[in-house]
Amino acid sequence: MMQKKICMVGAFGVGKTSLVSRFVHSIFSEKYLTTVGVKIDKKQLPIDGEEVTLMLWDLAGKDAITEIKTEHLRGASGYVLVADGTRADTLPSAVYLQGIAAHATADAPFTLVINKSDLREQWELTEADIDKVKARNWTVILSSAKTGDAVEQLFVDLATRMLRKGHGQ
Amino acid sequence: MASHMAQGVAPEMPDRNGDPGSLDELRQIIIGPELRDLDRLRARLDDPQVRAEELSQIVAEAIALRSRHDRAVLRALQPTVEEAIRIAVQRDPSFIADSLYPIIGQAVRKAVASALRGMVESLNHILERSFSYESLKWRFEALRTGKSFGEIALMRSLRFRVEQTFLIHRETGLLLGHVAASKAVVQDTDLVSSMLTAVQDFVRDSFTETKREELGTMEVGEYTVWIAHGPHALLAAVISGTPPPDLRAFLERTLERIHAQFGAALQSFSGDASVINGAPLLQSCLLGSQAVKAKRSYRMAYVLLSVLGLLLVAITAYAIRQAHRWNRYVARLRSEPGIVLTSAESHWTYYSIVGLRDPLSADPDELLQQSGIDPAKVDSRWEPYSSLDSAFSNARALLSGKDVIEQQVIRFGLNTAKLDPPELAKLDTVQSQLFSLQRQASNESHKVTLQIIGHTDRTGQELANKLLSQKRAEAVMTALLERGIPASMIVAAGVGASRPAQFQSDTYLEDLNRRVTFRVSLPPLRKNR
Repeated sequence: MMQKKICMVGAFGVGKTSLVSRFVHSIFSEKYLTTVGVKIDKKQLPIDGEEVTLMLWDLAGKDAITEIKTEHLRGASGYVLVADGTRADTLPSAVYLQGIAAHATADAPFTLVINKSDLREQWELTEADIDKVKARNWTVILSSAKTGDAVEQLFVDLATRMLRKGHGQ
Repeated sequence: MASHMAQGVAPEMPDRNGDPGSLDELRQIIIGPELRDLDRLRARLDDPQVRAEELSQIVAEAIALRSRHDRAVLRALQPTVEEAIRIAVQRDPSFIADSLYPIIGQAVRKAVASALRGMVESLNHILERSFSYESLKWRFEALRTGKSFGEIALMRSLRFRVEQTFLIHRETGLLLGHVAASKAVVQDTDLVSSMLTAVQDFVRDSFTETKREELGTMEVGEYTVWIAHGPHALLAAVISGTPPPDLRAFLERTLERIHAQFGAALQSFSGDASVINGAPLLQSCLLGSQAVKAKRSYRMAYVLLSVLGLLLVAITAYAIRQAHRWNRYVARLRSEPGIVLTSAESHWTYYSIVGLRDPLSADPDELLQQSGIDPAKVDSRWEPYSSLDSAFSNARALLSGKDVIEQQVIRFGLNTAKLDPPELAKLDTVQSQLFSLQRQASNESHKVTLQIIGHTDRTGQELANKLLSQKRAEAVMTALLERGIPASMIVAAGVGASRPAQFQSDTYLEDLNRRVTFRVSLPPLRKNR
């Protein structure tokens, strides 16, 4: 059985925890996030015909100018950057965090998720903003933790890329 | 002197005379090889690269040679080596830590073991002074096994069991292996493994200065979690009870063996735990006795306590019941007319009671039997007295009236039922007494009855005697009826010679058997109150 560690990274309140709880049924309470600074969940998925166990590390975003503990990123095979479409400042935060995460994980695969796609009319982020990050050759997914839109696809796609990179090595 | 000089420079003379080429040639012929040597030597001395190369060929031998003579080389090298190590540690501490890991464990264990030995010895001193059953048992075991007494004591005092072991990949926090004792509570091991890693990071980040120390112990209720740290993996053991210090050394040794066996796989681990089969080694860590003894002894204590409690309740209930019975008995005696209690005491195993009692009063022994108290436990002393209670004076009057009547004996002559005048006078007494008795006893006349019993002497036939005695009784009854006694009060009967007053075969005394006697029955005295 293959096991992989995935980290959820993003500014405070962008919906990291909601995305995870859309994807798995949590055992640990959200209290862990504020006490230990991380909440861990588990999900088993078949990827390319192989059963894979994903350990999802949901890292607490401390505040808007997010600071994360890099030791939690250590050993991650991939990570999910989360931004909030209704808050324009969360995208630069995600870009900043990507720099940290890329260094800590030795350029592991990642996906940028722009959350709250169900509130499209309230978005501060524009298509131009999104195109700018896409220009960096990033994988960008618009998703909604509220409706569950594209959540499963997000994790399956990331896990697939992680495994392919692992096999390539 | 001048000629001497001229001779000395003679070979150069031609050069000065304008033929340098031939002189050079000459020089080449004479000292050519030496000049080439000189050039080569000069080059060797001037070129650092060549010098270094040459030195490198002999430096090891040189150091070895010098070291044989004195320690100058070591002294000279020491600051450099120290500085080099310092720089290496600063640059990447994990490199040195990883290099030292295989040996440092052993060194620390040795130090700990010797410290423990010291502790065991001092424990010896303490324990040797105590003489309990337990210590005697241990002493015997020490004699039997040849181990020191303290060692046995330590081993027997500590009860523990390793419930679960986790092998965790250090970098990713992913679970590499897990084994559990049969009855252990097992949560989702993948999550526990990751969370344990996260908690370690958290603790290290929050409470240490250098952020390099490791979390070695966690305690949760009756469980202790011991974590051994290696460069690529952690070994966490969940232990119930009090684990001995040796166990930690054992865990560390096991982790070292895992590193030795799967070092390469651990280093290149990419999520596939099946390549690291640490299960047999993890299984070997599930040490300890099957149950924590302290628990069992608590249960025994609880059972004992509850038995004692029940016993106490039973004894108390019994005592309360006995006290209640005693109090009721004493109250009954106090309320009884004709009985005066002077003291009534209850002791641990018996009761004592002292008082005055009118003979006509209720019988205290009878009351005692009714009370349910064991009469053997009661020490009673009753002094007789006459109660002035009206019921008793009345009863006494009745009894004395009854006595007067019953003392009367009506005599008869031989073979006759005829009453002589003196005997008739006695009947007057009987009549008056009977009336007064009846007055005293009650208004209801039938309650006092008079039995008239006729007797004969012991001569003559039995049947004749029976008839004669009957006639004598009836004669007396007739006389009494004449004196106004209601027939309802009187019963007459003859008993022949069956109840003689005298047994001697004396003619004179035999005369006394020819008689009529009286028996008075009174209503129950108690009801006359």
